[in-house]
Amino acid sequence: MTETPNDAVWADILETPLPLEAIREFLRTEEAGGIDIFLGATRRWTETGPDGVRRETTRLEYECYKPMAIREMRRIAGEAFRRWPLCRACLLHRVGEVPAGETSVIVGVAAPHRAEAFAACRYLIDALKGRAPIWKKERFADGSAEWAEGRFADGDLNPPDTT
Amino acid sequence: MENQRPHRVRVLFFSMLRERAGTDTATVHLDPGETVSAALLLERLAEAHPPIRPLLPLARMAVNEEYVSQDHIVRGGDEVALITPVSGG
Repeated sequence: MTETPNDAVWADILETPLPLEAIREFLRTEEAGGIDIFLGATRRWTETGPDGVRRETTRLEYECYKPMAIREMRRIAGEAFRRWPLCRACLLHRVGEVPAGETSVIVGVAAPHRAEAFAACRYLIDALKGRAPIWKKERFADGSAEWAEGRFADGDLNPPDTT
Repeated sequence: MENQRPHRVRVLFFSMLRERAGTDTATVHLDPGETVSAALLLERLAEAHPPIRPLLPLARMAVNEEYVSQDHIVRGGDEVALITPVSGG
C-alpha cells in the first residue's frame, strides 16, 4: 500500500463552525490546477411524500465515534489518492448542533486538472456518508425529533486495499 | 500467555442504540483466554440489554476502530463499537 503523505491529508471532527478559509488555503498548491470543495449544509425544508407536504427542520444534532470517524476519513482519503493523481485532500465534519443553513461537512481536493478533482471530491463525500461512524438527529419546527434514516455504502466497508 | 490478556471487552453504543441501551458503554467479561465471535458477542449484548435486540440486525461491528465481519474473533482488551446505519454528511 502506498502511504499518502500525512501533510497532504487533513481529516478532523470539530464541534465548531468549519474553517472554510483555512481549508481553501490548505488546498492551494502550485501543482493543482483544479480545486473542488463540497459543502453539505442543514436543509430547512424536506418533502415528506408525494402529497408535497413539507417538513421544517430547525437544526441537526450530530454525534460520532470520533477516533474511528477520523481514521475512516483518512482511509477514504488514502483510497482517493490511490485512484486519482491528487495533490491534497481534506474531510472535515462538524458535530453537535448545526442550525438550518449552516455547514455540517466540507470535503475538498486539489488535483492537476478538473476532471479528477470533481471525481475525487464526489468520491470523498459519498464514501464519508456511507462509512464514517457519524449520526444525525433531526429537530423539527413542531418540536418533534428523530434519528435520520442512515445507510451503509454498498459492498465491503473495508475495501481490501485499505487494510 | 493467553491468561495474561485483559478479560474485559469494552462495547460502545451510539445514537439509537445508545438511547435504547440507556448507556453509552457496556462491558462484556470473558473467561481467561476466552474469545468470542462477533455474532456471539452480539447475542450476549442483546441478553444484557433487551431493548437493543431489534436494532442489531441492522448494525455493523467495529473492533479497534475498523469494521469487521460477523465471524471476526473478539478478544479481551478489544474495543468494540456497534454501528447502526450511518447518517453523516
